[in-house]
Amino acid sequence: MGLENWQEQLRHGGLELAILLAVAPSPRYGLEIIRHLEELTDLVVTEGTIYPILARLTRDGVLKAEWIAHQGPHPRKYYRLTDRGRGTLDEMLAHWDAFCEKIVRLIRAARRTES
Amino acid sequence: MLGRSLRFLPRHVAQDALREIESHIRERVEQTESMPNEQAALERVLGELGPPLRVAQAYSTEMTVDEAVTTGRMGAIARALWQLATTTVGGFFATLGLCVGYVTGAACVMVAALKPIFPENVGLFVVNGIPRSFGALLDPPAGTEVWGGYWVIPIMLVIGLAILVATHRGARRFLSWWRSRISPWAGQAAV
Repeated sequence: MGLENWQEQLRHGGLELAILLAVAPSPRYGLEIIRHLEELTDLVVTEGTIYPILARLTRDGVLKAEWIAHQGPHPRKYYRLTDRGRGTLDEMLAHWDAFCEKIVRLIRAARRTES
Repeated sequence: MLGRSLRFLPRHVAQDALREIESHIRERVEQTESMPNEQAALERVLGELGPPLRVAQAYSTEMTVDEAVTTGRMGAIARALWQLATTTVGGFFATLGLCVGYVTGAACVMVAALKPIFPENVGLFVVNGIPRSFGALLDPPAGTEVWGGYWVIPIMLVIGLAILVATHRGARRFLSWWRSRISPWAGQAAV
């Protein structure tokens, strides 16, 4: 497996978590989520990727979508976490932390063996 | 073009998707300050958005599969299988296998339905005591005997319906599996 392919899989695996984190503090619309992810991470997300994911998370009850007309020059579709989505995000974060901890442990063990 | 590509979706869902993409394009055009005019900005944004067909496929395949899994309706399942068959290799082969199942089941039911109408043309076709084929032949070759009385009807009806039900369940299971592969939250009950 090439490095690029692996990085792509890693990004893909973390994308849903990143989207949920982006809308966790306050509702955001599609382009705002893209900009937020670009600003804080190297997750370059295309529209063709993010909108179907947002639509799916909405259908699954993790996000709630709402058209708001008065917060910009034209109506925008804002996404916010539902109660279920908040629970899902908490679980994902717990798993993510546990996973990272294990990988870091492995890296440390490997480095100790090397030295 | 995007609208045409979203034709598989329920009308309100397609309209909502179009409205969202339109809102996105407007926003991007407004933020593209360096371009000399709105037309150039629009062309650049559309270029970055990617081919409309690809965006539409990403939307519609997931939603069509969702509808098929949730409702289990024949039309929705056929649409979802068609979408997957035309966009993924795995979907193509799965749909091919499922089509064989549906056609076999339907053929068995048709044999049962044709038996009372053409009793001499439906059953086991035997030539010189050797079974050659089974089913319905409107013009059997000379020297062919037809074995099988009216018992063919219930047997073929049961076999045909069993194959149809099993294939339909297989189709739903395949679509559920495909959906769970892309959406880990799909199987959980909504709060």
